[in-house]
Amino acid sequence: MPVDTKRLRGPEESQSPWLFVEQEQQSPPDEREDGRRKGQVDVRPIFARCGLVSQAKGSAYIESGKTKVICSVYGPRETERKDETDMKFGRLVCTFRFAPFSCAKRCGWIQSTQEKDLSMALLGSLHPGLCLHRYPRSQIDVSVLVLENDGSALAHAVTCASLALADAGIEMYDLVLGCSLRQEGSDYLLDPTFAEETQEPATESTENRGGMMVALLPSLNQVSGLLCSGDLEQQPLVEAVAACIEGCQRIYSVAQRCLLTAVKKKNPPPDG
Amino acid sequence: MTMTSLQETDVLSSVQPITVHVITIGRLASEACAVNMSPWKVCVPGERLCSTEVCKAGSGTYIRHSFIFASLAGYVVKKNEGEELPVISVARETEAQLLPDVNAIVTCKVTSINSRFAKVHILYVGSTPLKNKFRGTIRKEDVRATEKDKVEIYKCFRPGDIVLAKVISLGDVQSNYLLTTAENELGVVVAHSEAGVQMVPISWCEMQCPRTHAKEFRKVARVQPEYLMP
Amino acid sequence: YLHVALLFWQQVILCHCTLDDLRVDGRSCEDYRYVEVETDVVSNTSGSARVKLGHTDILVGIKAEIGRPKLDRPNKGCLEFFVDCSANATPEFEGRGGEELGTEIANALYRVYDNERSVDLKSLCITPMEHCWILYTDVLLLQCDGNLFDAISLAIKAALLTPSKIPKVQMMEDEEGTTEIELSDDPFDCVRLNTENVPCIVTLCKIGQRHVVDATLQEKACSVASLLVSVTSKGTITCVRKIGGGSLDPESIYEMIETGKRVGKALHAPLQDILNKEESLGKSREKVGFIG
Repeated sequence: MPVDTKRLRGPEESQSPWLFVEQEQQSPPDEREDGRRKGQVDVRPIFARCGLVSQAKGSAYIESGKTKVICSVYGPRETERKDETDMKFGRLVCTFRFAPFSCAKRCGWIQSTQEKDLSMALLGSLHPGLCLHRYPRSQIDVSVLVLENDGSALAHAVTCASLALADAGIEMYDLVLGCSLRQEGSDYLLDPTFAEETQEPATESTENRGGMMVALLPSLNQVSGLLCSGDLEQQPLVEAVAACIEGCQRIYSVAQRCLLTAVKKKNPPPDG
Repeated sequence: MTMTSLQETDVLSSVQPITVHVITIGRLASEACAVNMSPWKVCVPGERLCSTEVCKAGSGTYIRHSFIFASLAGYVVKKNEGEELPVISVARETEAQLLPDVNAIVTCKVTSINSRFAKVHILYVGSTPLKNKFRGTIRKEDVRATEKDKVEIYKCFRPGDIVLAKVISLGDVQSNYLLTTAENELGVVVAHSEAGVQMVPISWCEMQCPRTHAKEFRKVARVQPEYLMP
Repeated sequence: YLHVALLFWQQVILCHCTLDDLRVDGRSCEDYRYVEVETDVVSNTSGSARVKLGHTDILVGIKAEIGRPKLDRPNKGCLEFFVDCSANATPEFEGRGGEELGTEIANALYRVYDNERSVDLKSLCITPMEHCWILYTDVLLLQCDGNLFDAISLAIKAALLTPSKIPKVQMMEDEEGTTEIELSDDPFDCVRLNTENVPCIVTLCKIGQRHVVDATLQEKACSVASLLVSVTSKGTITCVRKIGGGSLDPESIYEMIETGKRVGKALHAPLQDILNKEESLGKSREKVGFIG
């Protein structure tokens, strides 16, 4: 167990008082809380901005509902460890972190296994979108921090990271956009909030429950990341993937506009 | 490990096969703008610019299925170069993404020397400064073109010297970028004497300190007269 | 990890052959290599299994220990995974080389197995909020020849399916208020896990236009991306995950999910048969062990 010796921590046994509150068994509501529809491709409105962190090569911030994600990109810099593939292609290193105050339960500062798992998923989603063969012997560091987690953190992290990479001027084949979904019975909830993600099932035997995240390259229509867990039949699973893909396409115009504003603000138009 | 497609035409391309979907009306309009455009058109990565029959691909773009796509977020610039097809490229004004490439002239600073090679930090590629330094090595046999075996590194470079060199190779897994100074225009440009004063070159292998008039051995670069400060 | 460099022409030939449903060793795209499963190989564990899939050799040992349940799941037990890529497998795993691969595999296993639907975690609870069974599952990679996930999932399922030696316990409170654990006297009085829904993982690698099941290292070197599908015996899909650095067409994904479901569903029955046969042999079973 890695022990954090640098920070003064509270007692080992500290727990949140909310754990002891009796959770009343609520059945999942028929309508979604924020007025979006079930079974329809309704994404929360997104606010995105690039170029916030002045020290980083590129950075981006996304806010969607209450979920807030910030990403910084550093590089290309020289790789510390090298192996055969590094001679021809660059290396992408992704770090995904939750801020300790981001979730209902306090997370420690040391990367937990869940965060390492999500970092690998983020890496797999971003990798196909970058032209890494143009950066041999170099390393590009992407660091994503979730400031507040109100559902679909990984999906928004993927979008945020690709906006930051484009802002940093790293050559990419296409933007990478992420969208997540929660399947409950026969309906799906696109872009779920944290409450919807962790909802207990109405009955023990509810079929077809699961959560999924899809990362898409919109212009090329290629899926670069797929992460799904739950208990789903094949047909709902396939429909859910299609719904996520459509959700990603909806986000594309927002991401495009954010990048165009950033380019116009950062760089003056070239002469001639 | 890149995958090769199976179609005959694409066997040599290192890009995977895709199905090109019908683009939406909005993008069609912007594509029309891109073809006969003012240079202020902005694009995002993955945006289709034009087909390879109309333009050639420049920097910041890539070719896929005979269409040119943007790979950077920046301004689309189209340059007409005489009779050939115009070159379309995407420009980002700030910090070019230069990496030391083979045959590039780089400016570096010597960090350590031993009897077989000198280790340097590459600071500039051409005239563009690098944000992150890269490490390079100048081997004993690459210091000069003649009498390669009689070279003594101690008489060519010292730690702290600024050197103009050329990249011969990207090196392999264990080594850094391999550089050479085996040309007249390459070698030490700025060096400080043991007294701490910047030295003046007197020949291709010696520099003199203006204060103590002591001569020290270096492999000096023959800088063009117009670049020398008065 | 485990780089196998193939020359360009070798890759092209491999892809062309896969189009015609013919692979290097003569299998079709949906065939597995020869699998050997043996359970109860390590006697100190509550359940163990050894799986040999082609040249891939996996050993899984499960030890059940009493611990505190997780705070957000007070009335359920849990599984803890640890994957050790030992230097026995390849010299690249020496020191900390295999750690990255081990963490990646362990994280994927958590996602697939450590949930209510796969294993009946409620049956592992002894006293809510106080004591529960924690199944420490340790996976050892003895030899790697591609397709690690499938072999590991077969081994975990086999180890869980065998009569696990998790004894029945009762918590007794004595006069001073301290709790005591009381084991039942009968050594054969065990808790048998309900393992109906334990899924099996099928890894599908995309090579050219087709996808293959159970890829060897050479075939893996030619593929851009793989899809990991975990399927239960009823045909429900519990986890889908894309691994690898390439991208996939949505149509390919739909096809691969369908193949994965078909192949995965078909895996459960033969595995159950083998294990039933082993169990019926009981004490008279010949243990092959590690040699032979």
